[in-house]
Amino acid sequence: MNDYAELHCLSNFSFQRGASSALELFERARDCGYRALAITDECSLAGIVRALEASRETGVPLIVGAEFQIEDGPRLVLLCENLEGYQSMCALITRGRRVAEKGSYRVTREDFADGLPGTLALWIPANEPRHEDGAWVRSLFAGRAWIAVELHRGPDDSRRLQALEELGQSLGLPLVATGDVHMHVRRRRALQDVLTATRHRCTVAEAGALLFPNGERHLRRRETLSAIYPRALMEESVRIAKRCTFQLTELKYRYPAELVPEGHTAFSWLCHLTEEGVRWRWPQGVTPKARRLIDGELALIEFRKYESFFLTVKDIVDYARSQGILCQGRGSAANSAVCFALGVTEVSPDTHELLLERFISVERDEAPDIDIDFEHERREEVIQYIYRKYGRERAALAATVICYRGKSAVRDVARALGLPMDQVDLLAKVFGWDRENVLEDNLREHGLDPDNPLIQRICRLAFELLDFPRHLSQHVGGFVIFDQPLSRLVPVENAAMPDRTIIQWDKDDLETMNLLKVDCLALGMLTCVRKCLDLLRSHHGRDLSMAKIGQDEANDEKTYEMIRNADTIGVFQIESRAQMAMLPRHRPEKFYDLVIQVAIVRPGPIQGDMVHPYLRRKRGEEEVTYPSDELKDVFERTLGVPLFQEQVMKLAMVAAKYTGGEADELRRAMAAWKRHGGLEKHRDKLIGRMLERNYTREFAERIFEQIKGFGSYGFPESHAASFAQIAYVSSWLKCHYPGAFLCALLNAQPMGFYAPSQLVQDAQRHHVRVRPVDVRSSHWDNRLEPDATSAGGFAIRLGFRQVRGCREDVALRLASARERMPFADVADLCARAGLDSRHQEALAEAGALRGLAGHRHRARWAMAGVEPQLPLFGHASPEEEAVALPPPTQAQNTLADYARTGLSLGPHPMRQIRARLSAARCVDSRTLQNRPHASRVRAAGLVTQRQRPQTASGVTFITLEDEFGPINVVVWSHVAARQRRIYLEARLMGVDGRWEQVDGVSHLIAHRLIDFSPFLGSLDSRSRDFH
Amino acid sequence: MLWACVLLPQLALDGVLRRRPPSDEPLVLVSGPAQGRIVHAANASARAAGLYRGQRLTAAQALLPSFVMIEHSAGDEMHWHRLLAAWAYRYSGDVGLLPHAVVLEVSRSLNLFGPWPHFESLLREDLVGLGFRHRIALAPTPQAAYVLAGVEDGMAVLDAPKLRGALSFIDVARARLPDGAAASLQSMGIRTLGQMLALPRAGLQRRFGGDLVAHIDRLLGDEPSPMESYRPPDTFDQRMEWTHEIEHVEALVFPLRRLTGDLSAYLAGRDGGVQRFELLLEHRDVPPTRVSVGMLAAAREASLLFDCARGRLERVALPQPVVAMQLLAPDLPPFVPAGRDLFDARPANAMPLDQLRERLRSRLGEQSIQHLRRTVDPRPERAQTAEPGTKEMPRREGLPRPAWLLGTPRPWRGPPPELLAGPERIETGWWDGGEIRRDYYVARTAQGQYAWIYGAPGEQGAWMLHGWFA
Repeated sequence: MNDYAELHCLSNFSFQRGASSALELFERARDCGYRALAITDECSLAGIVRALEASRETGVPLIVGAEFQIEDGPRLVLLCENLEGYQSMCALITRGRRVAEKGSYRVTREDFADGLPGTLALWIPANEPRHEDGAWVRSLFAGRAWIAVELHRGPDDSRRLQALEELGQSLGLPLVATGDVHMHVRRRRALQDVLTATRHRCTVAEAGALLFPNGERHLRRRETLSAIYPRALMEESVRIAKRCTFQLTELKYRYPAELVPEGHTAFSWLCHLTEEGVRWRWPQGVTPKARRLIDGELALIEFRKYESFFLTVKDIVDYARSQGILCQGRGSAANSAVCFALGVTEVSPDTHELLLERFISVERDEAPDIDIDFEHERREEVIQYIYRKYGRERAALAATVICYRGKSAVRDVARALGLPMDQVDLLAKVFGWDRENVLEDNLREHGLDPDNPLIQRICRLAFELLDFPRHLSQHVGGFVIFDQPLSRLVPVENAAMPDRTIIQWDKDDLETMNLLKVDCLALGMLTCVRKCLDLLRSHHGRDLSMAKIGQDEANDEKTYEMIRNADTIGVFQIESRAQMAMLPRHRPEKFYDLVIQVAIVRPGPIQGDMVHPYLRRKRGEEEVTYPSDELKDVFERTLGVPLFQEQVMKLAMVAAKYTGGEADELRRAMAAWKRHGGLEKHRDKLIGRMLERNYTREFAERIFEQIKGFGSYGFPESHAASFAQIAYVSSWLKCHYPGAFLCALLNAQPMGFYAPSQLVQDAQRHHVRVRPVDVRSSHWDNRLEPDATSAGGFAIRLGFRQVRGCREDVALRLASARERMPFADVADLCARAGLDSRHQEALAEAGALRGLAGHRHRARWAMAGVEPQLPLFGHASPEEEAVALPPPTQAQNTLADYARTGLSLGPHPMRQIRARLSAARCVDSRTLQNRPHASRVRAAGLVTQRQRPQTASGVTFITLEDEFGPINVVVWSHVAARQRRIYLEARLMGVDGRWEQVDGVSHLIAHRLIDFSPFLGSLDSRSRDFH
Repeated sequence: MLWACVLLPQLALDGVLRRRPPSDEPLVLVSGPAQGRIVHAANASARAAGLYRGQRLTAAQALLPSFVMIEHSAGDEMHWHRLLAAWAYRYSGDVGLLPHAVVLEVSRSLNLFGPWPHFESLLREDLVGLGFRHRIALAPTPQAAYVLAGVEDGMAVLDAPKLRGALSFIDVARARLPDGAAASLQSMGIRTLGQMLALPRAGLQRRFGGDLVAHIDRLLGDEPSPMESYRPPDTFDQRMEWTHEIEHVEALVFPLRRLTGDLSAYLAGRDGGVQRFELLLEHRDVPPTRVSVGMLAAAREASLLFDCARGRLERVALPQPVVAMQLLAPDLPPFVPAGRDLFDARPANAMPLDQLRERLRSRLGEQSIQHLRRTVDPRPERAQTAEPGTKEMPRREGLPRPAWLLGTPRPWRGPPPELLAGPERIETGWWDGGEIRRDYYVARTAQGQYAWIYGAPGEQGAWMLHGWFA
């Protein structure tokens, strides 16, 4: 049997071509005894890091390469012989990708003019080889070019071989056997055909000659190959493989050097900046605790050579601060004392209890993790700064690999198999929610026959396609910055957004390659906080910052009182229904309670059943015990209950004696188990070792369940601390300046959990006066107007941004025209503000003309009568006879308010139909609060939210709203199924059910749903459905 | 002038339902692009389950797991609309088509068919018989009748002075005003036509343009209404198709009654009769069975036409189940004499290919003339077809394929042939259950013929012969 190395093989990162993953390919190559395997995806290295991981796992050497279809030339496979070759290939891919649209590439002969030193070239001749192509290849790649002989049981392989041999002789090019591999085994042929059809946007049956005629393009056994290829051609493949000595591990990553001034090293400069920060943060002198931390952290940073990373982060944060953009870091390294000194975080090591393990991840040989949140409206400025500072060659976003999920997989397969669109949609729905459900019943339920061979074929192929990469997208904000052009390290390509470029690796790839990225994320609440702080400065004469509130106003009893009462609509994180249900039970009293609060309502703790034990212990209903003394340190701060990701890691190290490396492996497995599996081996190891060390099996199993829960939604303490900081600041603002807070919140929309209508009603309940949009006084933004009767002395004047269909530039024009002279009448307004008919209508409908034209009906009549003005004639409109129009009713006004601004300042619509609801025996939400626990009631309200959390199987939380506030309804799946139509479509819903009130948390458990929507007329109160 | 308006609120749906035996099964017509299918119309039981016109099909499916779905056809709808116009033509020489409605001028017809309530009951009787839901109103202008029919079934305003009063209570939303006008009026607090008519005309013109004012004039009869007026065609041709196969002649009786009923309504409309017509019973694979129906004298009464046709039909032996039935009555006396070209320049003997093909087809039968074409299917036995194809896709060139491909491969008999080229491995066709896996070879027989043979992949012997090279 001849030795063989496969030099031409596509993975599934050649989207819609390759039908096997790198791991499958490498396992097969190992089983077939290949000497090496090249991954040569089409003009891409997006899959190469996964190939590296697979190569490490299987021991089969990886050769890095890529395949190119040259626009005016032949098809080539390039293999990297050495680092130089890799760099020139990256540059080639970057060039080809950058000049083409996202997802495609274009390379021409010119791109190969420099001969790409350090690469080897395999020429893939066409059916009718062009002599001239061969001569071109030979001239560019002298001594490192081959003719690839790819025999796939075509009509006459021996003649093909003979023809290529003659060609090789006449050109003086050697021949080598290669496989043009598209899949690891023949079985994948059907999936490969589906991908081909998908790529050509047709069905498999229509694809005809576009399909490969047979399944030979897999990793064939060596005895099979030996029967097809002459021995010399196979041996040549091994010789070439040996020449390719390049390893991806040779890549060396360096942080940009320009941040260090002359005469300093990176470390000395970081020390210098840290000391400056220490003087700024601790003007009275640093506390001994903080000093100790800083020194320790700096030593670690020097040891691990992360100085430049910290300098880069500091530089970005400094820029944001100089522009007045609010930002805050989070993550293990972000909450270090050094980062506090550098101004990256506001979580002070002094005022708040020391976090469990600040630098834990650095000790564990893991890249430091710093995410920076910026105001969502201004993050783009930061991104552009980074591009400006480092240049587009050196900074790019990380990629996100978009993979096939149930829905998309079944959709593509069903389409390729020619299923009609109606049924494709239906089938996609079956695969929609989660695939662990019993598929067969689901299919039947939707009227599809699970025994139908076509349906079976589709399901089988869709499962094969699941988790395959589909395309590259841009990461939400992970920047990679390099000392040299990035294209020497990894190819760069265009993203969907103009002026954005991404590298071909995603965040897991970066971690494997030990590359650092800085995550620049957008956070709506920071926009709100910054705008609120601005308002405090301009209207209340208080100059505050996040840090000041966090330090000087820490432990404010009034704020915590508000939080404990779950009066948290609009504040950060702790405003969702689940969070609000937890607050009265958890009763936070200090900052660390908020850290826990932020982290506890998450799938990890919920799936691990950690929430109730923690609450019982917090309230002293259960003794605080520890599984062992050694774990007391780890769990003391959370009363013996594991809640944070860090605790799980630490637990593995303490209780199961994991080494730092093993713990890191566990963390990665946790993050990826949903995608790749691989957590099971930790199950045996972890539970086994814990049992050995006398822990109970029950405890060990529960810990493992929690690890699985963390997998998809792990929430580390270091992130929770930063979020808790923002949660506290926003709570403090809401508590002390409800008017300014609401104003800022409305100006930062859309964000958060609640619609403006709910936010405004909440503020009104806190005695904040809200004034309607009015062309005589409104601006684009909502603004504060002095009003002694309003809480805090200021009322809110709604701005034009609340009016649907109103553009910012028009509102600004209107305001500046008004500045010069108040508007005389509607015609004057339209002329001077240059309102087009859309804006005329929008403002009339929004009720913004009441001061100029009277009620809405008159406003609309007046607006409709304004004729397009010719500049010559001024803006005087001809006199018209007066008309009598009936004024709108209250209900009509409410209706128009909702339709145009999504909120009404008039009486709540429910108040207007209260009489009818009372006649239907519905109680209102205020009366409801006084009903005893477990009483049977009927209540009704506008449906404002339908939420179906993934953790609560089969339950939907519906929020109803009436004139006194929200009602939380719990709908179990059998009720929903029985009354599907009302459940899905009712806008005004009545509920017969059981009223439950425990620990200040109340729910209405629905037994029967009633549709009262006809009461409403056409009120626009569209629910925000969260799924 | 007096106009009756027959409003047809579910024309398309009735057109479908009347061809199906009565059933309580939920049924909807669907329309719209593939990505946004919507419910076009829903029958009573589907509506009871919460389905409604304009609903997204996906939403409908969420509410009701199974219902009959039929693609809405605008062509069919127009066909029914015209049929009803033809029917109305028997009552009036002045028939017009409005969206979902037929209007007819009846002031002269009242002498013939009796006073209005009686006349109205005649119309209703006919429509019930034909199977179309309807609302009828009478007014001095067609537009007013159209509006009233939409508001209240059976409303009749006989003289012009009362019209203004009758219209004044009507909601502007139901007055069929030009696009958008109703919504704008409502937003100004104007809810009825009466309120609108009270507004100054100049003010309305300025805000809503000439369309609205013109509409008012037409409504009140101050201006004539432009509309498509109806002229009956000279042939009758109607076809019914089923998704299931009908095996017995008896089962054709119900649809036959519909077809002859429609023919009768049509003939009555043009005030004529028919002496001979033809029924075409279509089958899946064989040419249609033609049944000629002739009568001794022209007739138009529904029952007579039905009896004659039924008598002929019952004598027919069906070669195959019936999938569609067509009634053709081409020989009606022309309503307007057809023009004839004086200078017919067609050469006597020359005949274009299309025409020749059609002539051969009509002489030799539908299936005798076929067009052989290549398909895109990579499986050799499906590589050619006599059926018309739709989509052209690129095909692989340069493959050795025999000129004479056997319909079905057969075992190779005789001495083993000499293999010249191959194996060409073909593994494909998994998608429809017709997967093949074969190694093909070009081979030479002892007699020197070139054959295309195959065996199982990787094996030789047990050859199958699949074709001969020229």
